Amino acid sequence: MNAELMVLIILLPIIAGALVPVIPFKNRKQMLIFIESAVILNSVLVWSLLLNRPTESFVLFRFTGNLSVTFRLDGLGRVFAWIVSTLWPLATLYSFEYMKHEGHEKFFFMFYTVTYGVTLGIIFSGNLLSMYFFYEMLSLVTLPLVMHTLSREAILASRTYLYYSIGGAAFAFIGMIFILSYGVTLDFIPGGVLDPEAIGDKVNVLLIVYVLCFCGFSVKSAMFPFCAWLPKAGVAPTPVTALLHAVAVVKAGAFATMRVTYYSFGADFVRGTWAQDVILCLTIFTIVYGCSRAVKETHIKRRLAWSTVSNLSYILFGVALMTPLGLTGALSHMVFHAVMKICSFFCAGAVMYKTGRHYVHELNGLGRKMPRVFTIFTIAGLALMGVPGLCGFISKWNLVRAAVESETVLGYVGVAALLISALLTAIYMMSITMRAFFPGREFDDKTVEGIEDPNWMMLLPLFLFTAAIVIFGIHSEPVIAALSAVASVIG
Amino acid sequence: MSVVILLAILLPMVVGMALLLVLAAKKEKDAQPTTEELKRLHITVAAVLVATAALGLAAAWLGSGDEGVTLFYLMKDIPVYFRIDELGKLYVTFISIVWVMVGMYSFVYMSHEGKEQRFFGYYLIVYGVLIALSFSGNIVTLYLFYELMTLATVPLVLHNGSREAIMAALKYLFYSMCGAYMGLFGIFFLYRYCDTLEFVPGGSLNMSLAQGHGTILLIAVFLMILGFGVKGGMLPMHAWLPTAHPVAPSPASAVLSGIIVKSGVLATIRVVFFMVGADFIRGTWVQTAWMTLTLITVFMGSLLAFREKVFKKRLAYSTVSQASYILFGLSVLQPQAMTGALLHTVFHAFIKTALFLTAGVFIFKCHKTRVEELPGIGRMMPKTLWCFTFASLALVGIPPASGFISKWYLAQGALQAKVGVYGWMGPVVLLASALLTAGYLLSVTTKGFFPGEAAQESYEDKEPSMGMLLPLIILAALTLLLGIFPNPLIGFAGRIASSVM
Amino acid sequence: MAFVQNFPFFCIILTLFGGPLSSILSGKAAKYVNGGIISAVGAMNVAVLAFVLRTGESYTYMMGHFPAPWGNEIRIGVLEAVMAVVFCIIMLLSMLGGIREREQHIEDSKQNLYYIMVNLLLSSLIALIYTNDLFTAYVFVEINTISACGLIMIRQNGRTIVAGTRYMIMSLLGSGMLLLGISFLYGLTGQLLMSNIKESVEGIVAAGTYYRPLLVAIGLMSVGLAIKSALFPFHAWLPDAYGYSTVSSAAILSSLVSKGYIFLLVKIFYRVIGFDIIRNSRIIHVLFVFGILGMIMGSVDAIRQNSIRRMIAYSSVAQIGYIYMGFGLGTTVGVVASLYHVISHAATKSLLFVAGSGLTEVSDGSTRFLDLTGAGYRHKLAGIAFTVGSLAMVGIPIFSGFISKLLFAQAAVGHHYKTLPTLIALAISTILNTVYFMKTVIRLYTPEKAAVIREKNFCTIHAWQEPVKSAALICFIIVNVILGLRSETIILMIERGLQMFG
Repeated sequence: MNAELMVLIILLPIIAGALVPVIPFKNRKQMLIFIESAVILNSVLVWSLLLNRPTESFVLFRFTGNLSVTFRLDGLGRVFAWIVSTLWPLATLYSFEYMKHEGHEKFFFMFYTVTYGVTLGIIFSGNLLSMYFFYEMLSLVTLPLVMHTLSREAILASRTYLYYSIGGAAFAFIGMIFILSYGVTLDFIPGGVLDPEAIGDKVNVLLIVYVLCFCGFSVKSAMFPFCAWLPKAGVAPTPVTALLHAVAVVKAGAFATMRVTYYSFGADFVRGTWAQDVILCLTIFTIVYGCSRAVKETHIKRRLAWSTVSNLSYILFGVALMTPLGLTGALSHMVFHAVMKICSFFCAGAVMYKTGRHYVHELNGLGRKMPRVFTIFTIAGLALMGVPGLCGFISKWNLVRAAVESETVLGYVGVAALLISALLTAIYMMSITMRAFFPGREFDDKTVEGIEDPNWMMLLPLFLFTAAIVIFGIHSEPVIAALSAVASVIG
Repeated sequence: MSVVILLAILLPMVVGMALLLVLAAKKEKDAQPTTEELKRLHITVAAVLVATAALGLAAAWLGSGDEGVTLFYLMKDIPVYFRIDELGKLYVTFISIVWVMVGMYSFVYMSHEGKEQRFFGYYLIVYGVLIALSFSGNIVTLYLFYELMTLATVPLVLHNGSREAIMAALKYLFYSMCGAYMGLFGIFFLYRYCDTLEFVPGGSLNMSLAQGHGTILLIAVFLMILGFGVKGGMLPMHAWLPTAHPVAPSPASAVLSGIIVKSGVLATIRVVFFMVGADFIRGTWVQTAWMTLTLITVFMGSLLAFREKVFKKRLAYSTVSQASYILFGLSVLQPQAMTGALLHTVFHAFIKTALFLTAGVFIFKCHKTRVEELPGIGRMMPKTLWCFTFASLALVGIPPASGFISKWYLAQGALQAKVGVYGWMGPVVLLASALLTAGYLLSVTTKGFFPGEAAQESYEDKEPSMGMLLPLIILAALTLLLGIFPNPLIGFAGRIASSVM
Repeated sequence: MAFVQNFPFFCIILTLFGGPLSSILSGKAAKYVNGGIISAVGAMNVAVLAFVLRTGESYTYMMGHFPAPWGNEIRIGVLEAVMAVVFCIIMLLSMLGGIREREQHIEDSKQNLYYIMVNLLLSSLIALIYTNDLFTAYVFVEINTISACGLIMIRQNGRTIVAGTRYMIMSLLGSGMLLLGISFLYGLTGQLLMSNIKESVEGIVAAGTYYRPLLVAIGLMSVGLAIKSALFPFHAWLPDAYGYSTVSSAAILSSLVSKGYIFLLVKIFYRVIGFDIIRNSRIIHVLFVFGILGMIMGSVDAIRQNSIRRMIAYSSVAQIGYIYMGFGLGTTVGVVASLYHVISHAATKSLLFVAGSGLTEVSDGSTRFLDLTGAGYRHKLAGIAFTVGSLAMVGIPIFSGFISKLLFAQAAVGHHYKTLPTLIALAISTILNTVYFMKTVIRLYTPEKAAVIREKNFCTIHAWQEPVKSAALICFIIVNVILGLRSETIILMIERGLQMFG
């Protein structure tokens, strides 16, 4: 029964989403209640599934004999499922208020809800093909969300987004084909599925393919040189940028790289080869590059997007270390970054919603008028910087621990990169805080008159996220223990 | 006792936070508080300061010695953990004295800066953080409070809200962060190669594990020294000091110079002597580089101070120089030099606080910020300038004032340590720097009392009120007294030094 | 002999006579007759397919009971039947989808002429598929060319005349080379019947004496057919021909006519020369290289276009490149992939043409991208259909294109040194496809300002206003999805068909 539940969970939001423009709602409120209850119901279903996990897999349909869309829920999937299913209802709640001023709500909520299902599809995928399938779907269903405003900028951004995503998938496809030919099966099996006999002397070809595949999937998680789309996609409404471009979509990319690395090619196959070095170099570079761009950027959301670029490469760096410890770090950053970044994006969104200001230099003095939002923003910023006591520190600690224990030069360089990035994070986050709270003596209070904190629909998610940031920061043990249990499988 | 430790830490933090929250909840934030309100504020702050000091000192001195308390677990094997040891006792003691004194001074002084409630809110928070820092039982706890200290002191720096102040605060923030992250880099490696993250006198480096990773460990340690040296104003990242001090309100610069700079020293001591162990870096390039940097800083700081005309900036450069005395004392890795370093930590805290408070008086009463404006100041406020003079003498190191003792130990230690050319070069540089110190500080005194051609017919009496003068006198007296009766302190510092080497 | 076995012959005859018959009918009647013929042919071929699948072996059918070398033979296997069925379905749908445009674009007096051409075309295609005689093949190639020319030129707007002439010249060049090749082969072997030639060729290769002339013959035939099927760099005629002709013509030309030649080439490879010989000749590498170049260059050209029709046309160049690349791999798996792509591309490309025409229709007949802004809202079904076609072209799972991509990639992995070039070309081509197709899709769904819509005389068409076309579009979509989801059967049939070839 449980296995069938997975299909239901994937289909429910898709169907509910598709129904949104069809059902003749009497007023906005009805629509919102419909959507929120569908999302919450689905989340509850996900949780119930997570709590009594099905062990068997479920084949939805077969393309050809050995190619099928199969669902299975394993440890890695559970981690991501927890993140997604917890954040989605909150983000939806937030977007009800936010989307008031964006218009086209029906279509927005349609795709927003459908995306939930597709993301869960990626999570539940039991083999490479299913994941590839939902991965492509994800690109497509999120496309309308990016071009939501239909401004010229949004159109261009959505084009870039699509080219990058599908291009990345095209290279990931190559990896899939090789796994199909040189692996025992397409299913995800901890430790990889490569068949050593089939490989023979083609180790190097396979490593090339691995790098291509990794890069392909990491396009979604915006690894350099494939990161340009993410900041551009910041033109989307904030709930999209926050949930999709900080959590669901980009983390799906990271999730996919975990899958190919640990469950298809196998960490043992790649560990210690040039391929690992290449990937480590790319991720390390991205960590620093993303942050430096964030410092240079003056548009708030784009700045946060660049920050996401950098932080996603933290995760990829952890993945590329190819050790259980590295995976633990990567997973923990996946969880914690999700909370931190969605929180900071929502703050930025609240500011934009309330004031219509988009640039950092326009934020002067807003801290006094929106103290709650900016306090939360500051906490999120501190967490991103990795101040101990907040959750960002925990994940960084785990990542770095793995890097140090790898005892390789690139690992050490990675540690340095992480810290440089932390410093740059301090610069780009703290400068916003400082501006907001300490506008300086010459500041004219009239410019911020009439601005106040948003209503509970926006604040509630923010408070919950902040609580999560702090609680995970001072009591991370259960989470980390669960994550290392997941990661230990691949050892 | 463990409850007392936590109380000492949490009480000022909670009250400070409450003050800020009350402020944030207020409707008209910029409205000038009434006298009533101010009085209430002052009483609250004073009570908390005294209570905290009492709690802190009680925790330090009345306990049975080695005891610890775990607040919570950050990660499975990393608790936020406080423990009282000799070094912590020393730190808590002089921090408490300075903090109470400066707090008292600020009641008066801050009336002309405004926004008292904000200032005192952060002031109290920093106090709690500093006590926590001193009592930190492991490196992660130390790091945690080190970061918090940076964050909580930033509002003190930018207090007056001018563009200059904000830029200075940002500079301070980013320098400190940079330093902290360099320190963090090292912490990661120490976590891997040390047996424990707790502070163990003599260090807990696991030699068998570290075998073959010497280079990266040395790099890590060096980065930590550099990183924590940022707070200590060590080259090459000293530039925040002369920028941040002049713009901050004088009490803030006083504690920045007197205390916050010392937290860098504390962290360095903890890392070098309580985690890595002096033996590991003795004779390596790290030690050489460290000594070189500190000596250059000592000399360069004095030289810049000598050339500087803005009074508070001059004092800031002086701090750069003096803090590196301490770091030099540590870098030779010799017990006697370390004794000297610890002594200088304490002495300099009192001296520099006194000096900055004097500068504050000049600003508060006469709005004079530049050295050229000071001639004749001694006629207006002789008591203040006398305090300044005593403190200056102590800083220069003229016996029997306190600075002499510490410098003596520093030089002795350097000469005895087997550090080659640095053994004699150190004392020479210290001496040269002392001369420069005399030059830049005592010139103020002489000009102040004997303005010469700039003398005016008559001087009005500008002596500050008792609220400002008393802390000044106490601190100046301490600098003298500690020089005259140094033995208990020397013995105490010596015990710390010998326990780690 | 079962009655069903006569069906292929009936098909050819029926369509062949359908032509002249149409000339005496009115346009409208001709239309119905034509529709009937296509459906009947399709139905008959389904029966043939079922029969061949049941018996599990191919058979030859002597026309007029004259044995070779005098008589003429057709040969029926699974592959042939599948192709014939697919061709009929696509042709029927293309004809249905383009009904309205045909009535607009073609003068009333010439309506029936169009159906003559279509009938002849179908007849030649069926003949090309089934024939077992190289010369017969040539004859039908020519019929095919002429009728295709007619299909292009019947929309008389100047440009089509030029395009038609161009097509004629290039096509005849190709036929000429094919003819030369056939005559070389005849000279070498003295045979025209495919199976007979194969025996002789094996002898020649074994003896080793006339190997070089044989290669020349193969080369000539390959190049000839490559020109006719618009392999890069011989594609210059294609964009104009597809871009300006009426939509049914474009759809039929792109998805069927070129595919007929390709199928003939496969037949030549397998039935005339023998695939082992082809595999060992260098011609295969040439095809491979040009295939890959075509994949890339076709797409690059497509990106540069500013008219939707020409873009789709250039995309065909790229897709033909895929097919030749599959041949170029020189493995049976590669050929299977190519043949599958023949089918999936036929289904997709005609869908795109028909959907494109729907979008054009609501944009005041303009094919320029600028005018197509927001067309997806004005003609919803066409917009959806175009999106489906685009996704299939890009290779998104559940649509047909994904399976062919998958097959190509799997075929490539099996090869020992063409693996990486092929895969990377595939990936790049996917990206390029995304660029121009998805760009178009995004444009279709970017709303146009109301003022512009009024000024430019854009209209809105609902699906029920054009039931025939809508039905065609829906069928196309269904075919695409079936090809994407239920590909296994078709692949199996192709594989069995190729075995029967051997």
